Amino acid sequence: MTSTEHGAAPTTLRPENLHEARDAVLDTPGSLGITGAGTAADWAGRLRDVDAVLDLSGLHGIIAHNPGDMTVSVHAGTPLRDLQAELAEHGQHVSLDAARIADGATVGGLVATADAGPSALVHGGMRDLVIGTTTLLADGTVARSGGHVIKNVAGYDLAKLMHGSYGTLGALVEVVLRLHPTPKATGTVALACPLAEAAGHASRVLESPLEPTALEWISGERSTSEQGRLLVRIESTEAALPARMERVAALLGAGAETTSDDVWDVHVSLVRGSGDGAVLRIGARPSRLPGLLAGLPCTTVTAGLGTGVATVTVPGTAVAEAHEAVHAVGGTSVLRRRPAGLDAPAWGPPPSALAVLNAVKAQFDPDGRFGPGRFDPWEIP
Amino acid sequence: MSLDPRAHAAFAAAVGAENIVDDPVRRRAYECDGLTGYRVVPDMVLLPRTAEEVAASVRVCHEHGIPFVARGAGTGLSGGALPVADGVVISLARLKRVLEVDPENRRAVVEPGVTNLEITGAAASHGLYYAPDPSSQQVCTIGGNVAENSGGAHCLKYGFTTNHVLSVEVVLPDGTLVTLGGDSPEQQGPDLRGVFLGSEGTLGITTKIVVRLLRTPETVRTLLADFPSVGEAGDVVSDIVAAGIVPAAVEMMDTLAIEAAEEAVHAGYTLGTPAALVVELDGPVEECDDQFEQVKVICDKHGCTRLHIAGSPEERAAIWRGRKAAFAAVGRISPDYFVQDGVVPRTRLAEVLGRIADMGSEAGIRVANVFHAGDGNLHPLVLYSAAAGETERAEKLSGQIAELCVELGGSLSGEHGIGTDKACSMPKMFSEDDLAVMQRVRTAFDADGICNPGKVLPTPRLCGERPGKYSPHPLEESGVIERL
Ligand SMILES: Cc1cc2nc3c(=O)[nH]c(=O)nc-3n(C[C@H](O)[C@H](O)[C@H](O)COP(=O)(O)OP(=O)(O)OC[C@H]3O[C@@H](n4cnc5c(N)ncnc54)[C@H](O)[C@@H]3O)c2cc1C
Repeated sequence: MTSTEHGAAPTTLRPENLHEARDAVLDTPGSLGITGAGTAADWAGRLRDVDAVLDLSGLHGIIAHNPGDMTVSVHAGTPLRDLQAELAEHGQHVSLDAARIADGATVGGLVATADAGPSALVHGGMRDLVIGTTTLLADGTVARSGGHVIKNVAGYDLAKLMHGSYGTLGALVEVVLRLHPTPKATGTVALACPLAEAAGHASRVLESPLEPTALEWISGERSTSEQGRLLVRIESTEAALPARMERVAALLGAGAETTSDDVWDVHVSLVRGSGDGAVLRIGARPSRLPGLLAGLPCTTVTAGLGTGVATVTVPGTAVAEAHEAVHAVGGTSVLRRRPAGLDAPAWGPPPSALAVLNAVKAQFDPDGRFGPGRFDPWEIP
Repeated sequence: MSLDPRAHAAFAAAVGAENIVDDPVRRRAYECDGLTGYRVVPDMVLLPRTAEEVAASVRVCHEHGIPFVARGAGTGLSGGALPVADGVVISLARLKRVLEVDPENRRAVVEPGVTNLEITGAAASHGLYYAPDPSSQQVCTIGGNVAENSGGAHCLKYGFTTNHVLSVEVVLPDGTLVTLGGDSPEQQGPDLRGVFLGSEGTLGITTKIVVRLLRTPETVRTLLADFPSVGEAGDVVSDIVAAGIVPAAVEMMDTLAIEAAEEAVHAGYTLGTPAALVVELDGPVEECDDQFEQVKVICDKHGCTRLHIAGSPEERAAIWRGRKAAFAAVGRISPDYFVQDGVVPRTRLAEVLGRIADMGSEAGIRVANVFHAGDGNLHPLVLYSAAAGETERAEKLSGQIAELCVELGGSLSGEHGIGTDKACSMPKMFSEDDLAVMQRVRTAFDADGICNPGKVLPTPRLCGERPGKYSPHPLEESGVIERL
């Protein structure tokens, strides 16, 4: 495999359709980094020096939207934000509220990084919303899986394999998504309280029949000494929303109040992280999350108390020990933002099925052309 | 008994001689699944009691190159659990413990032989339930559900098996034991759990499953509505969707299916009505009531001839009994039948039903329809009499219906799987490259090709040297999707 001279910027290939993308992959020797809008370029393992970057943001736009079937197919480089804007005219949306959608993240990029937001509590992540994919492999093969209907079990589901693959197995070129109706009315109830207390409230909300769409605790914006808040999002009809909000507030008790939905912008900025800390994405059994987070030197926290998924900022020096602590309670963790120069492991210990991941890699990309380094330090070739 | 005696001894060491079935009469009980037209008597049946015994059995298969087929309750409708010649069946029937119900984290840990309904049974005292509800839920196993990515009437709102499984412990085809997935939706790297779900027993054997449990909804509202035509009933579904309502379930039955169901369970459906819809909403009371009123208005608007609202849990149960009995009940109006499972984009329901009716009359064969109208998943029941020599014609019609669904932009199967039944139709839906890439996935898990071989992907042996040639997908022809 050829590699660029150290320090030389890799060539950027920016195809505008599937044919050009395929030609680019076939005509460019050596290793390739795959990128969409580049909003998660520094997530997960650091991309090693590559010969070229395959930028898929030129493959954009809706291919077909079928409002009556509630499905849409798009070129994978389409920013989800743009897609949502078009779907909104039909009262529909993709039920994903990942923070970086606002930054222009592409549909393909969101799948490849397995991103999701607070509404994963009800709607899951991209894996639960993608119903079909077209993928370009390192040898130029173009493979489709799934289809255009929401219910379909024919063949292996390659979308799942691409989900969380960080551009190491193939390049998504087309994605078919299932849609949901845009909620007619949305509201949020907030309660200022520390995380441990929020966990107790969250349990009662989940035991109740109130069906929140999101249930998150967020730390104070600037420091953890600032009071955190529990946020409960309710989606409903206009007629039913006020009563449902009242019931949530009553259940949470004194101090609970309806708050503007703008509070979710605060959530977004906490997920992004700021300052010079490292951002870690953590998943654990929900009941273990508060204790786990209490033991980490977090400067900011968003914690999904129903999902068990948290995004935290910790000092770069604490990343390795944080991975250990998460692993010790059976959880998973990945680095999402690294301060410049930080040389901390991106992933915790590898999953037990590492051999299968390696075998899949060998089948899909035997020469290791796509996304070298993204799963370091797991030693996937 | 053509098994190598050394392998025989190794299997006996793996599970204990008393847990091996090699008596030819008893082996017969495993010769087919719910697709009874295909039968192969396995060389041996193993009845392991633990994951370790499953792993030990698979290691013997791996060492001796013996193909194996996992089996749950054998209710599969696509021949997925059909034994393979010169192979063994590994039954998971004895791994049937509910290991843990964790109400705080709303999940349960179960062994694969636990039935779908037993999970809800174990969780119910906590106000929780397991959402995917195949009609066979009293008998089918969660291991089989995982393998088939099974659906059910309530999957329109709540999703399929794949959306409700957090992790699976799997014995890989080389006998190693791994866990795919984890404690939260956040996974490490590619979603191998998602790949395994719906892989029809071809990538390994699951020995432990962590499922999500949902809070029982506060309110459930159910109605049964008759319509003068399937088209009008279909319009009701479209209008419900357009109003932004996501019903818990929308099911449709036609005259023939109703006739069969009524004869079997007397659930109070109207004989002779061209189409009946079951619509169910659930959730917080305020919203449910609000939307239920809207649904009633929509039904009226489309010429509903009778609206029956379940006034009690018993009445609701009766409505569902009629719907869920429909499959088995067609046995009352026909000596034999095939069930199809194709999917069309929901907006093409009326069109596909019209064409199925035409194809049926052309073939001189009756087709009853009962289906998940909300997601376009059809279950045409092709009625025939083997005694009258109609089998071949019925089988042909059945296959044509599945392929028609693909032609209309849909899928060969919504929930029953490809298995043996539809493997040769796969080239109608996928190109050679698509299928070759799926084979790469299979090879990554099962390099030796011993795990449920011959299922899902077409093989020359099964389908002839040239499995049905791929023809461009209609969406491809119209330029909606492209291929190189
Ligand atoms: C009357 C009737 C109604 C039905 N209704 C529905 C319905 O509404 N929705 C629906 O989706 N299906 C339905 N089915 C089909 C069937 O019940 C499902 O496919 C079910 O999931 C099969 O479960 P099983 O335990 O019977 O599996 P089996 O039939 O024993 O096996 C099915 C497949 O799973 C594999 N398998 C079984 N256990 C394991 C394991 N532990 N690890 C790996 N692979 C395994 C087998 O090899 C086989 O490929 C119905 C069937 C009948 C007869």
